[in-house]
Amino acid sequence: MKNKSLSFWLFLTPTLVALALVVFIPVLEGLFYSFTDWDGLRFTKVVGFQNYITLFQDKAFINAFWFTVGFVIVTVIMLNVIGLGLALLVTQKFKGNNFLRTIFFMPNMIGGLILGFIWQFIFTQGFQALGNALHMDWLQNWLTNEVTGFWGLVIVTVWQMSGYIMIIYIAYLQNIPNEIIEAAKIDGASAWQRFTKITFPMIAPAFTVCMFLTLSNGFKIYDQNLSLTNGGPYNSTQMLAMDIVNTAYNSGNFALSEAKAIIFFIIVAAISLLQVAYNRKREEDL
Amino acid sequence: MKKNFWKRLGKRVGVIALAAGAAFMLAACSNSSSSGKDVKITILQGKVENNKQFKQIAKEYEKSHPNVKIEVTSIGGGTQYDPVLKTRISSGNAPTIFSLAGPADVKQFKAHEADLSDTKAAKAAQPGTLDAVKNDQGKAVGLPFNVEGYGFVYNKKVFEKAGIDPESLTTVDKLQAAVKQLDAQKDQLGIKGVFALPGKEAWIMSDHLLNLYVAQDYNGNAQKLYKSKKMAFSKNADMKTMLDLQKDYSIKPVMQMDYSAQVNQYFSQGKAAMIQQGDWIYPTVEGIDKDFAKNDIGMIPIPVPGEEGKLPVGTSLYWAVNSKKTQAEQKAAKNFLDWLYTSKAGKKDVVDTLHFVPAYKGYDNYKMKDPLTSVVFKYSQEHKTTGWAFPGYTGTSWDPDVAQPNLQKYLSGKQSWDKTVQNMTDGWAKQQKSANN
Repeated sequence: MKNKSLSFWLFLTPTLVALALVVFIPVLEGLFYSFTDWDGLRFTKVVGFQNYITLFQDKAFINAFWFTVGFVIVTVIMLNVIGLGLALLVTQKFKGNNFLRTIFFMPNMIGGLILGFIWQFIFTQGFQALGNALHMDWLQNWLTNEVTGFWGLVIVTVWQMSGYIMIIYIAYLQNIPNEIIEAAKIDGASAWQRFTKITFPMIAPAFTVCMFLTLSNGFKIYDQNLSLTNGGPYNSTQMLAMDIVNTAYNSGNFALSEAKAIIFFIIVAAISLLQVAYNRKREEDL
Repeated sequence: MKKNFWKRLGKRVGVIALAAGAAFMLAACSNSSSSGKDVKITILQGKVENNKQFKQIAKEYEKSHPNVKIEVTSIGGGTQYDPVLKTRISSGNAPTIFSLAGPADVKQFKAHEADLSDTKAAKAAQPGTLDAVKNDQGKAVGLPFNVEGYGFVYNKKVFEKAGIDPESLTTVDKLQAAVKQLDAQKDQLGIKGVFALPGKEAWIMSDHLLNLYVAQDYNGNAQKLYKSKKMAFSKNADMKTMLDLQKDYSIKPVMQMDYSAQVNQYFSQGKAAMIQQGDWIYPTVEGIDKDFAKNDIGMIPIPVPGEEGKLPVGTSLYWAVNSKKTQAEQKAAKNFLDWLYTSKAGKKDVVDTLHFVPAYKGYDNYKMKDPLTSVVFKYSQEHKTTGWAFPGYTGTSWDPDVAQPNLQKYLSGKQSWDKTVQNMTDGWAKQQKSANN
């Protein structure tokens, strides 16, 4: 027993050391700096909660916050609906379902930055050309205001991530024992009934996982935001992560940026925990 | 079986450790052999477009000064330079020579700035070029890279075809008339628009255009603006006229255009008659169309009421020497900068290799190699220039957080000009108040 616990800690130490070096210590350091007037080089005094007061008066931060919340709500819904839809589609028995799986998953293999640049070209050049040819005004001038900027970001994110979410749903769908479905069929349940009464409850754990992934990912998005709109025009499509980076690196306000990051961390952690706890409870109820 | 596994693993680990150790020792040996009275200086500079040339010059200098080693690192994109420098300083890997963009940087990095006022280069610097980089004691802590100028870079062929002499567009009225004429003949001239205004790239408006109308209130002195609690923006109506002109006659949509679209896609391919840019675009244009760059482009000042015929000329970056380095290193760094700007070989590099318009005296016999820098050189030799006040706000949060988004809001038609001006001057007052707390 004693031997086992020694090797246990021995194997765990490297991970713990690495985790402490790149996560725990920086977070504590950041927490400390958020109470100072740190400018990235040195700080002269501890300012208490001044940075936290400033950030709630910071219009750019508030704007980024609501923009991100809206984005998260829309993408969580769309990603889960489309992800599940695709999963149901490719688990049907037909020729080429494996091929389709690959196709749907593929966007996920491209890095967010490149993806953003490609889509930027599609939105600005492709949509414009198409709009000109079809005389459709709504296809013109994409990414030049906050509305199209928002939907542009949603489209890119959904296109990229729904394949990944699909894979998770597939894994759970394939775990449903065939006997249950067959029994239901014999009992005369329609396809819709089979889906709502059997499939849906059986994959409840998948919802917990996928909701968590899409939720936290939505909050944390940065690279697509950077390459697609770069927060513009007039910082209206700036999301939380980007606002935090810009506060530090463009405006040189490192302490305020730390404070924003701490608030960001608390928000994401709280929402994710709430969501997981809620979904878990539903899983049990079912 | 199990024992065997551990034994094999042990052997492998041993071999790797041995190899790593040997490599480490070799590295250590080679390091120690090159020490002695040799000096190594590291340069971290912010003009990424000259990265190759600086490396070439460093190599050349190493040849004539065998005990000096120079390592050049370049960081691009202006605003992203400071964080890298900060990181290098915090991690104990501070460069010997670094660059400063203006008074805000001088204040930020003051613990690392050596007094450069006794260098040969500082003594040769053109009057006024050191004003923006004087520290609290009034000593110069920076040496200008060069001077740069901006205005309307135009396409000679288009103007010739339209029968307009660009040099004659010295007032706002004349410019407006010419722009309308060009716009009416767009199809015959083969252009998509008179201007290409990059609405996405807000700094082109907030730094360069805004400067023309703010600098007058501060005599073109960046330091004065930086210290001013309020931003007098008395000429804002003139700015509106010029911004509207560029916006109305630009290739559309304005808000979708960025710097590379402006320079590469439109101007260099002859689709815009003129763009508001500076001499720094020459290498880019040359990279796309050599003949076009060499023969068909020129630059005129943007007509500003009261400042007609003057080109805004200033310095965007300065060299600083790290005062925390050893005396020997600091001396070597100063010697290198003196050599670059005051020795014969160095001067040749400044003009021919870097394509810099010199900010120093003693270059009367030199000729600039390309049409854009020639214009800047000519205007500064004839003293027909106005100053740059905008380095007084680059590096402050006002530029990216207030000026740029507000100007973009105006360009998108989301905000009136009065409100834009109001927000900008209010934002300045607010920033200056909190900075002096």
